[in-house]
Amino acid sequence: MRPPAEAIGTLSLIVGVIALLIFIGVEGALVYAVWRYRASRHVAGEAATFEQNRRLEIAWTAAPALILAVVFVLTLGAMAEINGAGVAPAMRITATGHQWWWEFSYSGVKTANELHIPIDTPVELEVTSVDVIHSFWVPELGPKMDLLPGKTNRLRLFVHRAGSYDGQCAEFCGVEHAWMRIRVVAETQTEFDHWLSGQGLPTPAQGNAGERVFLSNICVSCHTIRGTAAVGTAGPDLTHVGARAMIGAGALANDTARMRAWLADPQRYKPGSLMPRVPLSDADLDALAAYLVSLK
Amino acid sequence: MSDVLSLGRSPKIVQDRILLGVAIFIASESVFFLAIVLAYVAYRDAGLATARANLDFARTAVFSVALFASSATMAFATGTRSGRWLAATIALGAIFLIGQGSEYARLLSEGIGPGSALFGTTFFTLTGLHGLHVLAGLVALAALFSANRRRAAAVRPVAWEAVALYWHFVDAVWVVVFTVVYIGTLL
Amino acid sequence: MTAVPLWVRRPAGERVGWLRTVDHKAIGVLYIGMGVAFFAIGGLEALLLRAQLATPEASLVDPEVFNQAFTVHGVTMILLAVVPLLVGFANYLVPLMIGAPDVAFPRLNALSFWLSLVGGIVLYFSFLAGGAPNTGWFSYAPLSERAFAPGTGVDYYILGLAVNGAGTIIGAINLAVTILLMRCPGMAISRVPLFVWMTLVTSVLILGAYPALTAALVMLFVDRQLGGHFFDPAGGGQAILWQHLFWFFGHPEVYIMVLPAMGMISEVIPVFSRKPIFGYAFVAGSSVAIAFLSFGVWAHHMFAVGLGETENAIFSATSMLIAIPTGVKIFNWIATMIGGRLRMTTAMLFAVGFIAMFVIGGLSGVSLAVVPIDLAVTDSYYVVAHLHYVLFGGTMFGIFAGAYYWFPKMTGRLLSETLGRWHFWATFAGFNLTFLPQHWLGAVGMPRRVFTYAASTGWGPLNLISTIGAAILLVAMFIFFVNLVRSLRSGAIAGDDPWDAFTLEWSTTSPPPPENFASIPAVKSRRPLWDRKHPEARDTG
Repeated sequence: MRPPAEAIGTLSLIVGVIALLIFIGVEGALVYAVWRYRASRHVAGEAATFEQNRRLEIAWTAAPALILAVVFVLTLGAMAEINGAGVAPAMRITATGHQWWWEFSYSGVKTANELHIPIDTPVELEVTSVDVIHSFWVPELGPKMDLLPGKTNRLRLFVHRAGSYDGQCAEFCGVEHAWMRIRVVAETQTEFDHWLSGQGLPTPAQGNAGERVFLSNICVSCHTIRGTAAVGTAGPDLTHVGARAMIGAGALANDTARMRAWLADPQRYKPGSLMPRVPLSDADLDALAAYLVSLK
Repeated sequence: MSDVLSLGRSPKIVQDRILLGVAIFIASESVFFLAIVLAYVAYRDAGLATARANLDFARTAVFSVALFASSATMAFATGTRSGRWLAATIALGAIFLIGQGSEYARLLSEGIGPGSALFGTTFFTLTGLHGLHVLAGLVALAALFSANRRRAAAVRPVAWEAVALYWHFVDAVWVVVFTVVYIGTLL
Repeated sequence: MTAVPLWVRRPAGERVGWLRTVDHKAIGVLYIGMGVAFFAIGGLEALLLRAQLATPEASLVDPEVFNQAFTVHGVTMILLAVVPLLVGFANYLVPLMIGAPDVAFPRLNALSFWLSLVGGIVLYFSFLAGGAPNTGWFSYAPLSERAFAPGTGVDYYILGLAVNGAGTIIGAINLAVTILLMRCPGMAISRVPLFVWMTLVTSVLILGAYPALTAALVMLFVDRQLGGHFFDPAGGGQAILWQHLFWFFGHPEVYIMVLPAMGMISEVIPVFSRKPIFGYAFVAGSSVAIAFLSFGVWAHHMFAVGLGETENAIFSATSMLIAIPTGVKIFNWIATMIGGRLRMTTAMLFAVGFIAMFVIGGLSGVSLAVVPIDLAVTDSYYVVAHLHYVLFGGTMFGIFAGAYYWFPKMTGRLLSETLGRWHFWATFAGFNLTFLPQHWLGAVGMPRRVFTYAASTGWGPLNLISTIGAAILLVAMFIFFVNLVRSLRSGAIAGDDPWDAFTLEWSTTSPPPPENFASIPAVKSRRPLWDRKHPEARDTG
């Protein structure tokens, strides 16, 4: 099985070469006509008077039709291939779009904005949305797929090369559409299994100041930290937020200083985001940021 | 304006610019209604139970007959340039609208409105838009009626033909709407 | 209101104001004026977008303003600039080209214009009423539903587009009836100028497509104002219904904007090649084929919504098919030039530019019909690039060709050829600099409609080039504006037939009298004026 991105790449190359040849042919004919028949080149003589040629017309109607027929057959083949070509997926992950972040669920184990998948494994991403239409697009992985409320779509993911791949929402979904980024981390099966089993664990109660700040403020009405009393679902699951590379679906890199800045005023980094500014003292912000970043 | 001069004869669509204009307008309106009807059909299953339980088929059938009959009276009116048949057409059209109004009042009193559920949304949109077209047709009929009463000779034949064409269209749309919405509950 | 001084040659005592005029020529000029004004506004909006995107993570405008700007830019350019410009030229030229004294319904014609304009004003009033629509020009539900767009912007969008659309529909009825019933003696439908042909086909497209938009707008209105559930998944509705209805309108709309421009260059190219159009029947017939097919390709805008393999394959096939009649036209224009004696006036430059740019937009269009490629690049800057190659590189180049060609007929004065050349080359350079890099941006992952992008993406340099191109376009448009103003006041006197042209509009004065022709002309071929000037080499067609 080929990664969908490779199938699209090959097809794009073929279509691109055909388009380039047509481009050169047509633009060449145009430039030739302008150069060869410009009036300033002819001091004498009248223009030709021919105005039709049935055979020529039929030829340049039929030729594109033939080329397109070939392209269409190639299209059908590539369509089947990027949809999995009959290979059953080895695992399913659910992606749910929210204004403006991604929820990924591995049979109930939830995380956000960072999608981990094992390499060389056909993965089926089942996508839907809780609000408006979003679109999952990681260019290096190939096709995109829309996330529609009230409907589940399927997107096949298949990656050979380990690494991280960035993408973002491709369907305009409101004010923070630009900051609804995705990071896909493709890793070996062993690494992936390790990661997933870690994600499945709840956070042990820490009893520290940061945890107290989190649990005693409105944070809990939107966020879940498994293992604590926080079970909100409007915002991303934060059980292992410290292990993610980015904050705010790509708005900031994830470290204690930026986490603190984000918590102090999310609207500064993501104006219009549904996360409000919560008035907290400096000490509370320090503690909260340290606590969240520690949730690996 | 040099429309086909008519010596009592009816103008033809292919020659008269007003009739052709009305015909093209109707074709365009048909696309509009087609879109609304398709939306109704797409959501039919979701609202079928509500439709079966709440639509008054028999009563609406009677009022529909009034509208269908008005097409016949309009044909007579156009054929004979008769103000009386025109008045009958207006009366039948008005009866239809009253019937539709009473159906609306009953549904609304039962809590079914355009915002209540998908059935209400599609039903009121489709029948409401048709109702607005009937109303527009009645205004055109009334204008023709009053012009005919003031000075019949000044009314060009094409005015009769054009209003009649539009009225038949409004009628034909109801044939589709009645079939899809009301007869559809029986299927 | 001041009386109409120009555009129509009318004795001072009989002049009527712009507000009351029902003369097709004056209404045509009103439409063109509306189009020019909104083109300027839409262009400034585009510059704002480009300025914000010039560098990564910029904060020149906040995201809300950016989203309103790209929404209004799209609606403005499509419905308030390009369509009025094309309808304006059609209004002015069709009766002259078919030897008629006016359109079929002169007063209805005025109504069409005023409805179109009022629709535009209603849309722009939203800025004063709390915010413009911010959901994109195709305003996908449920983003456009009240739950996600609580402001009044979308309501003004609904009302503005419905009123504007009503004007456009009425205008299309008028033009269709005019072309079908008001041709002068001898002007068989197989002899009308190709611009008239394209206008007729465009009218049919408008009549079939706009009502679907109106229906969608009514449904959105019911949802937003009466609590309806058409596009509300929570209430059982389907988000996808809006897309079907919108694109059933939206794709024919593309041809509504392209075909008349193709008609314009089909007039310009033969005249400046000194030859009759090559393959008249194929150019006209391919338009009918395009019109027919254009109602069956809408779902190629929806390959990524998950319609299903079969549906995607069918719409892929129809979308590829439409490339065939489009290609036929391009071959015919080039064949018209072959063997000619080309006078490379500004009008001809823009016509040739149209072909050169439209080929690029057409080829990228075919690539978007290839489902897997579409899934990779749809909703990205690749699509932005593609549509601008069609609508700017194509349509606007055609409109500029038409402007230089017919300005003398409308005003009695020629536009400056020197400024015209500057205008052309600045437009050509600026346009390609703006939009060519966007193909790459889309291919590497830049989605459309983002108000900014992370510096880490590496999209900065190409975006900067694109913005520089947009600045050059601003200069180009300024040159055109200067040319218009200067030539109106002091351009060379044109005379009736400055281009030694072929069609009837050049047989009357510049500008024409109110009744267009001193006597209704009679024609015997496709090039009546050629016949008159060359009785020894008359056309036989």
